[in-house]
Amino acid sequence: MLDIIIAELLLAILITFFVGKKLAAIIAFFISLLPLVALLDWASMYGFKFISFGIEKSMNIAISGITLHLAITPLSWFFGIMIFSLFPAIMLFSYSFYDKNDGFYPFMLLALFSSFGILLARDMLTLFLFWEMMSWSSFILIYRNKDKEATIIYLVFSTLSAFLIIFGILLLYSQNNSLLFSEINLTPNLETVVAIISMISGFAVKAALMPLHVWAPVVYSKSDEPFVAFLAGGLSKLGYYGMFLFMFSLPGAKIMEEYFSHISPNYILAVIGALSAFIATIIAFMQDDIRKLLAYSSIGQLGYIAVGLGIGSQLAITGALFQAFNHAFFKAVLFLAAGAVAYRTGKWKISELGGVAYKMPITFTIALLSIFTLAAIPITSGFAAKWLLYEAAIKAKYIFVAPIMLIAGVGAFLYSFRILYGVFLGGNNHPDIKEAPKSMLAAMFVLVLPMIIFVIFPGYALDMMSRALSDAGIASIPHTVFTIKTSLASYNAIAVLITLIAALIPAFLIYKSKPHRIVDFKDNYLAGEIPSKYENISMHAAHNFYKPVEDVMKPYFEPGTIEYYKGIYKGLAILSNTLRKVYTGFTQDYAIYVAIFLLTVMGWLIWL
Amino acid sequence: MVIDLIIKIAILTGYAIAGTAIGLLFMGIGRKIVARVHNRVGPPFYQNFIDVAKLLSKKTNISHGWIFDLALLFSISGILLTLLFLPIGGVKLLSMDGDAFLVLYLLAIPSLGFALGAGASGNPNAGIGVMRALVMLLSYELPFVITLIALMIYYDTTSIAGIVESQHSQWAIFIPPFLLASAVADMALQGMLMEQPFDIPIAPHEIASGPMVEFGGKYLGSLMIYKAISIVVETTFFVDLFFGGGVIAHGKFSGIVNFISWLVLIFIFFTLALLINTAFPRFRIEQAFKFYWKYETILATISLIWVYWMVIT
Repeated sequence: MLDIIIAELLLAILITFFVGKKLAAIIAFFISLLPLVALLDWASMYGFKFISFGIEKSMNIAISGITLHLAITPLSWFFGIMIFSLFPAIMLFSYSFYDKNDGFYPFMLLALFSSFGILLARDMLTLFLFWEMMSWSSFILIYRNKDKEATIIYLVFSTLSAFLIIFGILLLYSQNNSLLFSEINLTPNLETVVAIISMISGFAVKAALMPLHVWAPVVYSKSDEPFVAFLAGGLSKLGYYGMFLFMFSLPGAKIMEEYFSHISPNYILAVIGALSAFIATIIAFMQDDIRKLLAYSSIGQLGYIAVGLGIGSQLAITGALFQAFNHAFFKAVLFLAAGAVAYRTGKWKISELGGVAYKMPITFTIALLSIFTLAAIPITSGFAAKWLLYEAAIKAKYIFVAPIMLIAGVGAFLYSFRILYGVFLGGNNHPDIKEAPKSMLAAMFVLVLPMIIFVIFPGYALDMMSRALSDAGIASIPHTVFTIKTSLASYNAIAVLITLIAALIPAFLIYKSKPHRIVDFKDNYLAGEIPSKYENISMHAAHNFYKPVEDVMKPYFEPGTIEYYKGIYKGLAILSNTLRKVYTGFTQDYAIYVAIFLLTVMGWLIWL
Repeated sequence: MVIDLIIKIAILTGYAIAGTAIGLLFMGIGRKIVARVHNRVGPPFYQNFIDVAKLLSKKTNISHGWIFDLALLFSISGILLTLLFLPIGGVKLLSMDGDAFLVLYLLAIPSLGFALGAGASGNPNAGIGVMRALVMLLSYELPFVITLIALMIYYDTTSIAGIVESQHSQWAIFIPPFLLASAVADMALQGMLMEQPFDIPIAPHEIASGPMVEFGGKYLGSLMIYKAISIVVETTFFVDLFFGGGVIAHGKFSGIVNFISWLVLIFIFFTLALLINTAFPRFRIEQAFKFYWKYETILATISLIWVYWMVIT
């Protein structure tokens, strides 16, 4: 049955090339449900029973002497459920977002197909093959927008990532003489450690971890929203899937700790993750382009996952997986909401937007919920994830990581409000727009559901994660449906929620005690004092919003990371230019080179 | 079981009402103290009760739509929620169901609700005010969380109830690194309470009271209640962390004694904030930011490293 699913996916990629945009969207939507159906069928290994088609759990495909080993594990199931539940919703969104079919659907389906392959891969070659296919299909999707900078930067960083990964794979292969995960035995020696570090850096490129993040803001701001939602929400998680695979499923993290006695790369990964969260957060609230803001916010939120993997304790990894799960949904919703706003207003700059919420209240409510999750407000599931990570940092006594992570969490409030105020509230700049189309609203609503469910029942999310973790030999943390307990404290989600509802009663009584009158925006504190010639002035104070902090902080962020890469590029160019001068074009010079070479060889032989 | 639940609800309701009353009383006394420093007579100490009653009974209430109304709903409910998750005078209330991180994030609920309402009012002053408030939040949280982490590492718990219990024999303030940390945290408290020199977000002379510029009637009244409870919440948080929640007695009448000692302690720190308030002019926002992220953070880091060194040796 698995072969039928794979064949149907490939067939759909072909068909969507040739059909019209509406039909392509519908086909893509239904085909993208297939991996989800497979996952629901495989949920039986999680103890759930939704449907049973009896889809086989593993399959080997032999192509001209190479065997691709495919099988499902609890960990890939967990990552799969977040990536594949995003996809149909994004197809639903694109249904009204695009007005022609110009290669979006086939390549999106190819990206879906390759991520399916990455998750099922049970040997390193298959993993690499599908990884490249995924990078390539996203490259085409970025290329569609004909932006030179974004295309080149993505190509360069994908190549870097591929090099690092294949280097690690070759090193591991030379050690073990096998590509199968099940046959790899890691031993603490230099080659293995270098291989693991190289792999982690390769995957970190896709996960947009600092300082390998520079492609993300450019690509996210120069591509179409539906694709960016999938890239930021889904595909970036594959980077962390790869890291998790080599750090915990194959115990790379343990090997590194054994090899390095003092400061292990795990600790460095945690520090990089925390710094990534912190720096990206600061940069995020200085942005004026909403896509760039969301891109930096994405880098920051993904940094938390790296912290979790770096700390590597049971608490931290659970928190990291929870954060990955939340991030997949809220970031996809936010990118889609930004897309919906741009679809109606045609604007990306926060300072030019404003007042959208009054005309698009449903979009606003959905965005508000995901922003609450992003900012980890305790009435959302975002809090449980961050809370686990904070607890883990305190328990491990990481006194550098913990404060930085916490202050990055506070910084998230700042850019959250930048989105809320700049885009949705403030002066009424858009009196003539309409609510987003129904298919867009449906897409966003579907994606917001997991956030609502796991706020009340964080235990269910932890159940899912603990089964994924038990595969890597990590025990689950004690929890019930509503509460999570650690050795430091406990968190009761339902107590917070019930108390909040109870506390809303007096507030509601005050609210209902006296009637109120709803007035226009011009009817405010300045009432009647606006001179008539300024009457149409924008009442939206969103330009240079965080100027005071910006003035203080900006010097510390100059020059940006990209300047360092440009420096490396310039250095390489100078070096190559110098080396090029060896080729003078005169035969005598080449004869001299040969003579020098021969003399050196002779001298070496004599010395021996 | 049911009776236990009813008793618990009654106790929580009682503390919620007491918190509101104490907050309003403190605000009134505060006005009196400030007036005396200014060599004025000042309003009576119960003035704020009158003010709230007046505002809540206004017939004319102006709203700017449903998002504006969120300010009223979430400011009161959010701050009450936070109050109940703090141990007060050794009484744990709901603090076993959460910890210090939860309280830090719960404090964001009323502010975010308030910010939403302010944003929806469409007045540029409100937007600027909220921006200032958020920058202040970012500023004072850094030194504050560092001191908080120092406490958590020392007592090996993140729960406030746990920290309070660990201080039964000795308050944290009597341990040298925490004396330094408490000085830092007190300055953060000054920012939290939005007293001068850190009253930048509500600066009446610059941005017309900032976020609350469009609020009137029941909306302003509810914000006054929010302000009153937040005074109690913030000072209690501070007292819980460094003064063991004011717990001094463990005997028969310990409940009342501890309650009174808690009340005295939070009053002392509120008064201290007020006295600093009367003596200083207002910082500009970037000055406040630099103050917290430079000097305060350095001091806080010293105390954290000190504590870390004490713990690992």
